[in-house]
Order: sequence, then C-alpha cells, then structure tokens
Amino acid sequence: MDVVTMNILDSTLVSVCREMGISLMKTSYSTIFNEGLDFTCALADANGDMIAVAEFCPAQIGGMPLVIKTCVKEIPFDTIEEGDVILHNDPYRGGLHVPEHTFFKPIFLDGRLFAFAVCIGHVAEIGGMVPGGFAGEATEIFHEGLRVPPIKIKKRGKDVDEVWKLLLANVRTPRHNYGDLRAMIGAVDLGEQRVQEVIRKYGEAVFSQTCADLMDYSERRMRAEIAALPDGKYSFSDTVENDGIENKPYLLHVSMHVQGDEIVADFSGSARQARGPINATLGVTTGATYNGLLHMTDSTIPKNSGCFRPIKVVAPPGSVVNVDYPGPLVAGNTETHPRLAGIVIGALSQAAPLRAMAAESATGGNFVFGGHHPVQDEYYACYDLMSGGWGGRADADGNDTVICINGNCRFNPTEVFETRFPFRVEEFAMVADSAGPGKFRGGLGFQRVLAVVDADITVSQCTDRHHIHSWGLFGGGEGGNGATLVRRAGSEEWLTVQQAYNKVSSSKYSNIILHAGDRALVRVSGGGGYGDPGERDASRIAEDVREGFVTPEGARRDYGFEPTTP
Amino acid sequence: MRMSSNGYYVERYLKCANCGLLIHDAGLTVERGGKPLLFCSEWCIEWSALRDSGAENIRLPLPRA
Repeated sequence: MDVVTMNILDSTLVSVCREMGISLMKTSYSTIFNEGLDFTCALADANGDMIAVAEFCPAQIGGMPLVIKTCVKEIPFDTIEEGDVILHNDPYRGGLHVPEHTFFKPIFLDGRLFAFAVCIGHVAEIGGMVPGGFAGEATEIFHEGLRVPPIKIKKRGKDVDEVWKLLLANVRTPRHNYGDLRAMIGAVDLGEQRVQEVIRKYGEAVFSQTCADLMDYSERRMRAEIAALPDGKYSFSDTVENDGIENKPYLLHVSMHVQGDEIVADFSGSARQARGPINATLGVTTGATYNGLLHMTDSTIPKNSGCFRPIKVVAPPGSVVNVDYPGPLVAGNTETHPRLAGIVIGALSQAAPLRAMAAESATGGNFVFGGHHPVQDEYYACYDLMSGGWGGRADADGNDTVICINGNCRFNPTEVFETRFPFRVEEFAMVADSAGPGKFRGGLGFQRVLAVVDADITVSQCTDRHHIHSWGLFGGGEGGNGATLVRRAGSEEWLTVQQAYNKVSSSKYSNIILHAGDRALVRVSGGGGYGDPGERDASRIAEDVREGFVTPEGARRDYGFEPTTP
Repeated sequence: MRMSSNGYYVERYLKCANCGLLIHDAGLTVERGGKPLLFCSEWCIEWSALRDSGAENIRLPLPRA
C-alpha cells in the first residue's frame, strides 16, 4: 500500500463528491436542494462498496451503502452500459423513505466498469396524500408518494421518455421536479467525468488497488477506535411521543455489544411497527447507528464502506426500527433516525463519557406545505426543515438552533422563503430557557411565526418532542419542548393543532388549511444538558442571562444563580 | 425477496428473522418453537439463539469477508 497516493486519492475523490454536491446546489430548482442542501453525493466501486462521500446529509451517508448494495443485486452488471443512469427511491429495497431519490451512473473507461457516481437527494414533492411529502397521518406507504424501484431513467446517454412522463405525471410540481431531477443527473454526470480523469491520471491498476486499500485502512482505523472502548453491553432507550394515528409513545431501545474491535447494535426490545409514519427502514436504522458511532469516534477516519465493516446492526423485522411492507415510514428518516443515533450515543456514553453528548431536538421539524401561488400562478410545494438545540458535551455547550443530527442541512433564508412562498416571517428567534441546564447546557431551541399572506395554504407536519423532553447526561437537565400553534385571522388566541383541527397529534398531522391572515407558530425543542448545573461556571450563566438565552427566573430556578443588574 | 416470474413486481419481501436484512437467495431456515424462521447467515442464527436464551453478555465475532 502506498500511503501517500492513498491519501491524495482519498482527498481527490472526496473533493469530486463535494463538487458534485455544489453542482446540484447551484442548478436545482427547489429550496430543499439549493438552500437546504438535503442531499449527499458519493462514489462507489464496481462492487457497490462506497469509496468516498461528501459531508452533506449524514442520514444519507450512512444509508447509502445498503441502497447501493440492494440496487446492484436487482440490476445485473452485465445489463449496465455506459451512459445509463439508474433511479431508485424504494424504501422496501434498501432505501430510506420515498422522498429520498438516488441516482447511480456507472463509470466506464475503455469499456470496463470501474465505479459508480451516486447522488441521493430529498425531492420536495413526490405526490401522495399531502403536498411536500410528510403525511403525518399516513397509514401505508401508498399515502406517501410514488415508489420507484431501481430502473433506468437514461439508457446509453438517452432519456427514457416513458419513465420521465410517468414520474412527472404523479407529482404536484412537475416543472420543479424536472429541474431537480436533471440537477441530480448533472451531479452524477460530473462525478463520472471527474473519476475518468482520475483513472487516466493514476492508471487503472493504481486506482482499483488504492480504493481497496483505502477501505481496508478505514476498517483498521474504526477497529482501533472500537477496541479502545471497554468490552461490555451498554443499553439505552428513548421514545417517539406518538405516530400521528394513536396518541401513545413508541419505545426505541438499543444494546450496544462491544466485543474487542467489533460492535453489534441490537435494537431488539424496540416497539412493534407503528400504524403511523414513524417507522424506520433497515437502511435508516443502519444509517442512524453509523451516524451515532461516527460522532463517538475519530472524525478523521475516511468515510467509506470499510469503516462500517466492524459494525453489525440487528433490527427485528416488523418493528419500529425495521418496517414491514406496506407500513408508512416517511418520518422514520427524520424523527426516528435522530432518536436512534441519540440512543447509540447514550448507550456508548457509559463507555466513553467524554465523547458523548446529551440528547438533541431529534426532529427535522418537517413543516411542509403547498398550494397555488397567487402571484406566480403555479402550484408550489415546500419542504421546510426546522432547527433545534443539540445536547451539551463534556467540554462545551450544545450547538444552538441547528438542524438535527441526521441533517447537516440549512435553513431557508427568510428573504428566499418570502419570495418563493406566500408566507411572511413575523418572528425568527431562539427560545430563552429552552436549553437543558448543565455544567455545559444544551443548545437553544428555535421558533418561527409565519403569517399567511394570501390564498389558502395546505400544511402538514412530522415532528416530535412536543411532550417528551430531550434527555440530559450525567446530571444535566432536560431541554424545553417544541410546539405547533395556530392563530386564526382576527383572533388573539393561540391553539394547538389538536385543538384547532381536532387532530390526534399536534406534532404529526396531514392537510390542515391555513387561510389568509392566519398565523402558525412552529417551535423546536432545545437540547439536554451535560453534567451537574451546580458546576456551571458562574460567568457562563451571567453571559447567558445578558444574551437573553436564559431568563433571570431560569437562572435562579436551574442554577441557583442571582443575576446582578448592570 | 421473491420477485414475480417476469420480474415486474415483488411477490414477497423476505427478511432475516434476526437482523432484518432483505434476503435475495434461499437463506437459511431453522425451526424455532415449532415454526420455521428464515435467517441470512449462521451468525444471525447463533446470535438470536444466544439473545433469546437470555444470555447477558453475548460475544460472537462477526464473520469476516
């Protein structure tokens, strides 16, 4: 193994993946791509093993190896030709949820298949029972949008017209979808071109051998990290507060078995499959396990299939961590994934307390809406991610108001949001006292108030932690809860979605109608604290009070701290 | 996973009774409690047996490729 060449090639391939992502960001139509960055780009070798990935959306990074492996089982290699592009979004074939569309392009050189360029992205509108994809009251996969098994959308460089027509006839925003899907194909086209350049530069033998070496190297690094943990069984649990259909909590449980330089994450003991859309696919549970472990291990390990070899995920079929067909699952990737990553971290906090963080908001927020735009005279749909607080750590407070652990995505800037959609943003704020107290407090939650400018807007949501708090670690306190409230035009009273629309849940619901002048307040929870609040440095508490992050009452209640008047 | 004869649709999603992985080949069938269970590997057969027997600290090395 030539370590120097391996490092150079690793950086080169990761840069290719980043460039693919930037191309997608700059050429896509929907805000979930060009503002939210809800996508990931990667490269796989000819066996379908991931060799490099850009650091966009962690849910997709961890889920990608299973997606790729499942696809190559269904489409035999001898039927793949140069210029083909394969599309896939089927959660029951290795996928994550229906919005997550994956494009693969084989990379040939001189007639030989060397690799695949892969782009996976969350398409904002996919048909189904609600605009924007997150049907909080879905009870089967068919409510959640169009399911696409692995098929060729391009053959030998030419569009398969029938596939395009079928896809675009089943969504509310065909012009935007067409632009977004073209942008994803553009990303894999770019990946193909760049990898061909790399192979020409280094030679076919060096490229193939170095990719294999790189995965072996990542495996060794991960094994060394795991071996540093004390052997044993570490268990942890959390709950999803409801599934939008039945108002009861669903248990998520993991036992992390550390055995030498390997880990088995066994999710037996988790709740049976839910009727509503909080179920996770095996791809989601696997990705969440990798996500949690990557947070607890050396961040410089190259992210490829090699580093996942010493990790085995056990997710019983028919459970909330491995949904059986045709159960609904759209929120499994955004609500259950972060909760699963959190319990992996929580379990391993017993083995490596200095590397752990307390619970974060663990919700995508997933405020989705659509309607006919009165000015643009066109149907629009938006998937709007929301941010919350992350958990406190051994040496730092939790991050304030960022997308949850599975996302790494960005807000829609208010200017873009108001231009594209008929909402006016009246408040955009971090929530005082929402951070769990601790030696290192949690991150602050967030809230936004939106006023409907004109015309009816159809809104749905999949979120959580309206009732169940983010947990603290080692004596740290719980974070504040989220909420979704509605105020009718002309009224001063804020009502929960449950009260205003007679829904089972205010955190998971489908198709409520907001009229002109109505307002929605969406709040996302804060993170849990780490360590005894009594040990928090007084100067940090005083600073939090000065900044308005903690109220004087909160400082007295949570820290026994009496703020002085400046 | 069992496909229709023409490959147009999935007739049955077959998953490992332990780890939940989709099984594309015949898999390994084992009788437990009077009913047949399908597994993807010998490792999964053994792991599930150990776990279901109530073993507290299971150690079972993963199969190496």
